[in-house]
Amino acid sequence: MKITLENIIPYPLATTKYGTGSVWGNFIELNQGQQIILNASSGKGKSTFTTTLMGIRNDYEGSILYDGINIKTFTSTDWSKIRSSKMAAVYQDLQLFPQLTVKENLLLKNRLTDRYTETELIQHVEKLKIDTKWNHQCGKLSMGQQQRVAIIRAIAQPYDWLIMDEPFSHLDLENKTNCMDLIHNNTIEQGAGFILTTLDNNHTHNYDQELKL
Amino acid sequence: MLKNLLFKNQDKKQLIIAMVGAFLGITFLITSIHYLIRINDFGKGADILGPNTIIVQKRVSNSSLLKLTRTDFSTSELEKIKLKPFIQDVKPVIANNFNVSFETADPLIPRFRSDVFIQTVDPKFMDVKSTAWKWNEGDQFVPIIMPRDFLVMLNTFMSASGIPQISDNLAMAIKFKFTLSNEKNTQKEWFDTRIIGFTNEIASLLVPENFMSYGNTKFSNGKEQKITQIMISGKEGEFGLVEDLLTKRGLSSKNAQMVVGKLKSIIGTLLMLILGISTIAVFVSGLVLIQYMQLLISRNIYEIKTLIHIGYHPKNILFKFFFYFASIFGLIASLGVAFFFFIKHYIDGILDTGGIHIDKGITPGSLLALLIAYTLFISINYFTAKKNVHKLS
Repeated sequence: MKITLENIIPYPLATTKYGTGSVWGNFIELNQGQQIILNASSGKGKSTFTTTLMGIRNDYEGSILYDGINIKTFTSTDWSKIRSSKMAAVYQDLQLFPQLTVKENLLLKNRLTDRYTETELIQHVEKLKIDTKWNHQCGKLSMGQQQRVAIIRAIAQPYDWLIMDEPFSHLDLENKTNCMDLIHNNTIEQGAGFILTTLDNNHTHNYDQELKL
Repeated sequence: MLKNLLFKNQDKKQLIIAMVGAFLGITFLITSIHYLIRINDFGKGADILGPNTIIVQKRVSNSSLLKLTRTDFSTSELEKIKLKPFIQDVKPVIANNFNVSFETADPLIPRFRSDVFIQTVDPKFMDVKSTAWKWNEGDQFVPIIMPRDFLVMLNTFMSASGIPQISDNLAMAIKFKFTLSNEKNTQKEWFDTRIIGFTNEIASLLVPENFMSYGNTKFSNGKEQKITQIMISGKEGEFGLVEDLLTKRGLSSKNAQMVVGKLKSIIGTLLMLILGISTIAVFVSGLVLIQYMQLLISRNIYEIKTLIHIGYHPKNILFKFFFYFASIFGLIASLGVAFFFFIKHYIDGILDTGGIHIDKGITPGSLLALLIAYTLFISINYFTAKKNVHKLS
């Protein structure tokens, strides 16, 4: 699925002037299979960008097109199909259910498409070293552990794009590498692409494209 | 899992209070509607006269004997009574203006003859099939409705004659004869008659209107026909007002008719009161349940939004709330029906002991009321859930 950004500017950021390289106010095409990084400092609108792309916010000028269709025309039925089979996301606030266990959080998402078996989900959990927390309530996990649960939950569906908003902000290098490997392999396996927003300039992964705000 | 997520952290105190309110409301709603219908049906078919119908006449006093007050009704008096909102209809009872004698005409029955008084009333006041209750010149026999007291008198005569007494059915099979004549007895005509029913409420023989018109035209004594009795049919549950009218206008009626009408009216009013209270109870508890659902949705704003963000359709979520509350109300309705059957068993027993024999079957009206209440609740439940969940999508 191709994503086209046609001069989008969120209303709260409308007073700021943006350069030609910014995703705000410019024409940008994102092709499926690309691995993209969006590096920007705090308050520049990284979360606004990801939530706008996921159709959660629609307070902006310009148009976002999915395969040529303006996302503002999508119905709730369209969005539920897109969010369960085309666009996966790791939100900055993670949006986990704190009262549910790791297992329940993952199964609740996975049952929408039955992408994985429970055993495969356990394997992902083991890869990210949170298998001991399988039956623990998410609300009682550390932020880093919760981030890893959110990453596994995001990939527990078919997708064309995986949108991640500062997914490693609470992870050490080892866990960050493990997560990046999982994301990279999973997107390659699906022929999908991802957009990752970060505050961190020190990244070792080879991205296809870098976006600015 | 979804149910676990959305309904886990509830404060069930409010839910339980609303459920108890709805349960009591529904039980009393069905019970009051059921007994309201049964009480209205009570007495129907027991007499040839229709329900809530009484025959009244002016009370005879010393002043009426001295002709200071009238004992007959004028047309304007009838019109005034008819205009009262609690009166369904008023019609005069027409009496014969000629001589009539009634006798047995069956070879198996000893001859019995008596001068009688005949009357006719509008057929719409009578609980009798219109096909049986008609007479035209040249017809084989005149259908009549006999006062039950008359049959008792006939049986006394039979007994005295050493003949077995006759039942209602046998009386209806025996041939009788009317002899109509004018005042001077210079003109006579005979008519075969047959009893088609009995009444406890009227003291005279009732004949079809056509027959009375025929007799009054052909054998009339020429004097003006006075209306001394009228039939009044009161509206259901407003018999107290009819009774007030009778007192105000100095009218009297047979006590039995009044007692049944008044009893039905009192019970009907009480049941209407219970029905009103239970309708309010069902309505209020329904509203509390709906409000509880709204509260539950507002407590789950984060969960609902997150479910939608990870790909759940708002419809899946709204159906969770809809079915949860539809099943709660369904459970309440089922418990209400079960409890209704339980108390009905006892109420029917009490009524039977008290000599009030009503139909023991379930009235479709009471179940229909339950169905309406349930449909109304689940419709409001659905639209409220839809509005609240879609607002979050």
